[in-house]
Amino acid sequence: MDIGTAQSVLLSGIVLGSLYALMATGLSLIWTTLGIFNFAHGVFMTIGAFIAWQIGADLGWGMGPAAGIAVAIAALIGLGCLSEFILVRPFLRRPDVVLVAVITTLSAAIFLENSALLVWGGRYKQLPPLIKGKVGMLSTAISTHEVLIIAVAPLTLFALWAFLKFTRTGSAIRAVAQNRESALLMGMNVPVLYSLAFGLSAALAGFAGILLGSIRFITPGLGNEPLVKALIVAIFGGLGSLGGTIGAAYVIGLMEAISMFFIGLYWTPAVLFGVMISVLLVRPTGLFGKR
Amino acid sequence: MRELLTGPNLARLICLLILILLPLAVPSPYIRHLLIITFIYAIVASNWDLSLGYAGVFNFGHIAFFAAGVYGSAILSKTIGITPWLTIPLAGVIGVIAALIVCLPVLRLKGIYVVLVTFAFSQLCFQLVLSQEEITGGSMGMPLLPPLKIGDYNFARDGKFGYYYVGLFLLVLSTIYLHRLVRSRFGTSIIALRDNEDYAISRGISLARQRMLTLGLSAFFTGVAGGFYSTYVRVASPEIFGFGFLSLALSMLLLGGLNSIYGPILGAFVITLLSEAMVDLGPMRFLIISALIILMLLFYPGGLINALQQASTWSLKSGKAEKYFRMLVGR
Repeated sequence: MDIGTAQSVLLSGIVLGSLYALMATGLSLIWTTLGIFNFAHGVFMTIGAFIAWQIGADLGWGMGPAAGIAVAIAALIGLGCLSEFILVRPFLRRPDVVLVAVITTLSAAIFLENSALLVWGGRYKQLPPLIKGKVGMLSTAISTHEVLIIAVAPLTLFALWAFLKFTRTGSAIRAVAQNRESALLMGMNVPVLYSLAFGLSAALAGFAGILLGSIRFITPGLGNEPLVKALIVAIFGGLGSLGGTIGAAYVIGLMEAISMFFIGLYWTPAVLFGVMISVLLVRPTGLFGKR
Repeated sequence: MRELLTGPNLARLICLLILILLPLAVPSPYIRHLLIITFIYAIVASNWDLSLGYAGVFNFGHIAFFAAGVYGSAILSKTIGITPWLTIPLAGVIGVIAALIVCLPVLRLKGIYVVLVTFAFSQLCFQLVLSQEEITGGSMGMPLLPPLKIGDYNFARDGKFGYYYVGLFLLVLSTIYLHRLVRSRFGTSIIALRDNEDYAISRGISLARQRMLTLGLSAFFTGVAGGFYSTYVRVASPEIFGFGFLSLALSMLLLGGLNSIYGPILGAFVITLLSEAMVDLGPMRFLIISALIILMLLFYPGGLINALQQASTWSLKSGKAEKYFRMLVGR
């Protein structure tokens, strides 16, 4: 393996890692705040990509990518809040809320995937890359869009971190995550914060979907495979720590790129699964997990 | 003997009798086909309840055990050439092996991690099936599997009579098996683990062993159902991993009622008929079923079987049912 190949493997690993980081962070955010796992996260990505395509792409309404992204993210925030209201809130007091939420979010995923199929059909669609062209990077050339992904993902996550760390609302979300009862006693509006966390997470998913939508074809099943990867990342990193999740995303992305190169496309899922299992055998709560 | 013929047992026997006689009374092969599919779903859903309901293990890889049976039996019968009469029970063994593989990481995990690992396992199986094209046929699946035969008699002939009774036989067998299991010491111990894990462990129940047994035992008839399914429809296709199959099985469990053997079976009958009635609606069908799951959880978490039980205790109290039963046994 010469240096050029090594570099292109590295770059594709980082691109994958950036996408996984965006997806898995949303999952992790909901897990830390609400203590449930959102199986509709993948389909949120699909919906985000479809809305951006509908508004922005020339074959849709052709209003330009900026409008597409803005509308998609706004819609996803709404969808996230709505999902929280229907799928999670009524069950929060039940002792088996974790299981119930798995079932309701899974049902929602099926609902939304089939809705997307009804609205947009099964034909392949693709978003144009946000910036066209290729750039030379290290010793290989990659598309500018991928460079954008590499740059935008950490920026978005940094913004999320800053929001959670420095704003009043962000602190409130973290407070609810740490101790729901105390937060209630302090007079925080817990349901609104739950809604907000869900909306935020859905927006992250939608954004990841938009980025994904121009390197893959958009189908109603677009989010399924990334959801599984995000699951693996979340398990690997340990749910409940945003930093751990992001670190794990890059580790898994690189591992996938390396395994794709050496072992091939088909066995890569098995390799990732094997790695995840071995981590779980040693540390049942993931590499950085606390709960 | 008299005790065998009272209350719920009598109702079960009557249902069984109806199912045995039904194909003789209803000539339509289409109805028989629907019922065969229902039997298969009923086996899958009721066995799933052993881990999801009774043991409280959040196992979302149950469909993978079924798929293991489907593909295991398909490969054994088509590629290797073993008669389907043997591959169907062998499919059960393959299902158990799949369950034991997923057990390995699950034994030490808790709560949501069990969901994630089992779900990821199921997806992994899907990817493997897709990628190993020369063995599994990839996304095309394996068509034209050998059918069940006795001598020269193909079971698909005469409007699937043969398959109907094999399916019914498997369902009865699986139900008796679950019935015995749930009422055994093992069954009580997994319920104890679910309801109060710490106390159960302190009384000497091994969490890891019971969990492994639960998954393994729930996988056997699931695998058998998979083997029977692929032999019956004569194709092993990766579609079974899709959300469609999962949502159907899950909705049967929830609509019928968790923590009961007959709930999921009842759910299987209701959902299969319902989903067949909506078959022209295309994707709309899954919209309705998934909305139904959520509504069910919102408004009637106990499921249909619970409603039925409430109704029957009410009628028992008012003495109507007793009169009715007496009339039935002719006393």
